[in-house]
Amino acid sequence: MLEVLEGLAGRRRRGRHGGQGTPRGTRVVVALALLAACLSPGLALAPARAADEPVTLTIGVLNDADSLNPFVGIEAMSFEMWQLTYDYLVTYSTKDLSPEPALAQSWDTSDDGLTWTFHMTDKAMWSDGQPLTAEDVAYTYNRVIDGGPEAATWGAYLTQVTKAEATDPTTLVLTLKKPNSSLPLLPIPIVPEHVWKDVAEKDVKTYKNEPTDGQPVVGSGPFRMVEGSAGGSTYVFEANPDYWQGAPHIDRVVFRVYKSEDPMVQALIKGEVDFVDGINALQVKSLQGRDGITAQNGNAPSFDEIAFNTGAIDVDTGDPIGDGNPALKDAAFRHALGYAIDTQQIIDKVYQGAGVPGSVIIPPAFSTWRWEPPADEAYTYDPDKAGQLLDAAGYKMGSDGLRTMPDGSPIGTLRLAARSESPTSLNTMNYFQEWLQDIGIKADVVSMESSKLTNVILDGNYDAFEWGWYVDPDPTTMLDYLTCGQLGSWSDSWYCNDAYDKLYQEQLTEMDKDKRVELVHQMQQMVYEDAPYLVTAYDTIGEAFRSDRFACFAQQPEPGGVWLFQSGAYSYLHVRPAAEAGDCGGAANATQASETSGESSAVSTPVIVGVAVVALAVAGLVALLAARRHRTAADRE
Amino acid sequence: MSIVAADPTAAAAEAAQVNRHRRRGFGRYAGFKVLGALGSLMFMLVVNFFLFRVLPGDPARTMGRGRLSTPEQLAEFKKTYGLDEPVLQQFGTYLNNLVHGDLGYSILYHKDVSEVLAERFWPTMLLVGTSTVLAAAIGVWLGIRAGWDRGSPLDRFTTGGSLTLYSMPEWWLGLLLIAAFAVGIGPLPGIFPTGGLHSVDVDPTSLKGVLDTAWHLALPVVTLTLAYLADYALIMRGSLIDELRSDYLTTARAKGLRDVRVRDKHAVPNALLPTTTVVALNFGFVVAGAITIETIFSIPGLGLLTTDALHVPDYWLLQGVFMLSSAAVIAANLAANLLYGWLDPRVRT
Repeated sequence: MLEVLEGLAGRRRRGRHGGQGTPRGTRVVVALALLAACLSPGLALAPARAADEPVTLTIGVLNDADSLNPFVGIEAMSFEMWQLTYDYLVTYSTKDLSPEPALAQSWDTSDDGLTWTFHMTDKAMWSDGQPLTAEDVAYTYNRVIDGGPEAATWGAYLTQVTKAEATDPTTLVLTLKKPNSSLPLLPIPIVPEHVWKDVAEKDVKTYKNEPTDGQPVVGSGPFRMVEGSAGGSTYVFEANPDYWQGAPHIDRVVFRVYKSEDPMVQALIKGEVDFVDGINALQVKSLQGRDGITAQNGNAPSFDEIAFNTGAIDVDTGDPIGDGNPALKDAAFRHALGYAIDTQQIIDKVYQGAGVPGSVIIPPAFSTWRWEPPADEAYTYDPDKAGQLLDAAGYKMGSDGLRTMPDGSPIGTLRLAARSESPTSLNTMNYFQEWLQDIGIKADVVSMESSKLTNVILDGNYDAFEWGWYVDPDPTTMLDYLTCGQLGSWSDSWYCNDAYDKLYQEQLTEMDKDKRVELVHQMQQMVYEDAPYLVTAYDTIGEAFRSDRFACFAQQPEPGGVWLFQSGAYSYLHVRPAAEAGDCGGAANATQASETSGESSAVSTPVIVGVAVVALAVAGLVALLAARRHRTAADRE
Repeated sequence: MSIVAADPTAAAAEAAQVNRHRRRGFGRYAGFKVLGALGSLMFMLVVNFFLFRVLPGDPARTMGRGRLSTPEQLAEFKKTYGLDEPVLQQFGTYLNNLVHGDLGYSILYHKDVSEVLAERFWPTMLLVGTSTVLAAAIGVWLGIRAGWDRGSPLDRFTTGGSLTLYSMPEWWLGLLLIAAFAVGIGPLPGIFPTGGLHSVDVDPTSLKGVLDTAWHLALPVVTLTLAYLADYALIMRGSLIDELRSDYLTTARAKGLRDVRVRDKHAVPNALLPTTTVVALNFGFVVAGAITIETIFSIPGLGLLTTDALHVPDYWLLQGVFMLSSAAVIAANLAANLLYGWLDPRVRT
């Protein structure tokens, strides 16, 4: 054992800079490297494509797929894979992500909202030649309704649905116990019954659904996966020439997984990839000035917030648990803090300008559902007002320049937890600490890993933390996280408000869209005023692509949304080679081709350099042996 | 060849006796070491299980955040992956599976741990293994020359250079090399790829695939080799310098041997012992991967796998990775011990 320990100690330096993602100092290097690369513009040119070569869109991403099996994978990358491979009953509009026809060309609801009838296309085919019918859809949904891993992944979307039935090959009927207002949005990929009937429920979690020996996974979507595996580093898709909505304009899509942003950006500059997703604001800025590259910070359907411990309880007994600060249990106190946060400053300094100041829990992307706080209610950065509100609520300034509880006891120090893996989180909390100081509240920033933070939140041992949520196109899941039913589960603010819960239940079954929008607005307003969350920012995702090679990416939502990793495969169906873009087939809001044309390169660098590397190694070996022989010969003298 | 002619039969008999003694002593010594190594491995297997269960975090919560939105979904997920079972029951399953050679199921990638490990093993072996061999060979070579001519320009260059590389963060060095040789600076064309193990369309087992992999691995291997070089160069240099004033070297010189021969046949074999240990031990760490270099060059190796698994935490995958790396370290230690015992009879007692 001793040797083992010594060995470990001696070798620790290998892991010295280990951890998630690229070390922060890297940014400087990239700035330098980019600067250097700017000095040599000619080298950034991409080789032009020969006329008969297939058009491949290569996308650099930072995450791998956790599974290609649509019933068990849960990562964003896996979702993107399924969007290419499969079809959906209903898809999302690019404008505001409202339901749009896909396999289902139209749908209607019974008056009581308990029966949904979907009228499907008869043109969809599986890649093995079998027709895709309502039976496949019913089969897929029934797997979810019947429980097991399928229900863990997709159950929330089919709540209240008791059965899915194909009354004829193009008609699907869903029967419900109670109305479900989130229908017809169903982001569940439709799988082929004739393949999946052989996968028993107990085998679902080990069924990989990966291509074998170049045989693609049987799907019906615009592309077919021919190579790729969970945790793999490349994923290769070929266009489906017979796609029922029209063949894609490119031949292949390749995803290459990078493990850090900077080399991925370099790969885009060099032309090894055509699109990069998930880069930071500084990188977007430096790429925007380049010929042949178009970059943006696309609005993501997410928000970042400062959340408070509004009173953790034991879910079974209802007794308080944890050591949360009592002041934060008071909605008036939290509300006052809303005026102490300069969200614009956070966007400018923490997000480098790439983002929108935060307000309510439904991001601007979902314009249908979002409630915009009126001017007289909106939090503006106003420390004086925050002070007045705190005074009014009884948190008077003490003689030591710190505010006290209404009973005169000290508030103490608020612990502001930042997630150690996120510089954004840390910087936001540092600013928040200063702003709290300004209004007479002492606070400390503590940094911890998000996995630790999860535990701390569940135990109620925290005052405030910074984190964020991705928001579904349907608001139900986001609204759900703040209900009493989520205490001890996903609730991370311990917010529990009966009036809010009542509205939540109402909106679940309200089939009149306008009335439901009204309910959802009221709920956002409630959360805004009670402030279990103070939403700091609507974040963006940095994206860039070679506009000298490709054009016609469409944003979702419009305007300002992301180009890829959307809800639906819209961009993949519309993207075209720059030379053939024209007017992008009339697609709205598509990015146009840029002027730059590439330089042709006839040499195959991999082979030449590969030969050189191997030759060098062999030469080294030969030299070594020769030297040895020579020495031996000399020694024999 | 000995200079003094001795009675050949007596010498042979003596040698045979020494040899017999050596063999018996060595067998006993080796047996002990092997048993010790097996004990260490058993111990690690048990520790591994509890070590990771102490980690903060809950796989269902890390993986399910924003996806498994209802409490029912969360419960179903925990049930599917056996996360709702008591720890002791999980431990029982773990031991039972181990006995049957089953490393369990990776919750992160939804497949068998052994399968995930197999996929990640070769990239790491290629990257870190090649670098370790290269660094050891070049480092020892440089260390010998630097130590023998202490204070010479070569010595100053080697010592200064390797210390600089040693203190340079690996990822920084890697990024510099990417900027210079993959993207290209000034007149320098970017001839190497920015990352990955091989191109998308090549079959890694074909000749083209091998060349393509060599092309992809050139920069990361150079980076790691440079980073590891100092370890070997400085130790070799140090231990050679220790030998410099030994009497046997004076004797060798007095016999009229050429300087190179004195160095290679007399000084180096004696100075090689500490380096042998370091080389052997470092080979044990090859499978631990090189997290930073795998990150910068996007090579799907075991180092990255460990960080990804820790993030969840994927207990089963972590157990697998740590079992593999502790087995490798223990095996390398055993090899070092055996080698040492064979090279230097003094340690056997």
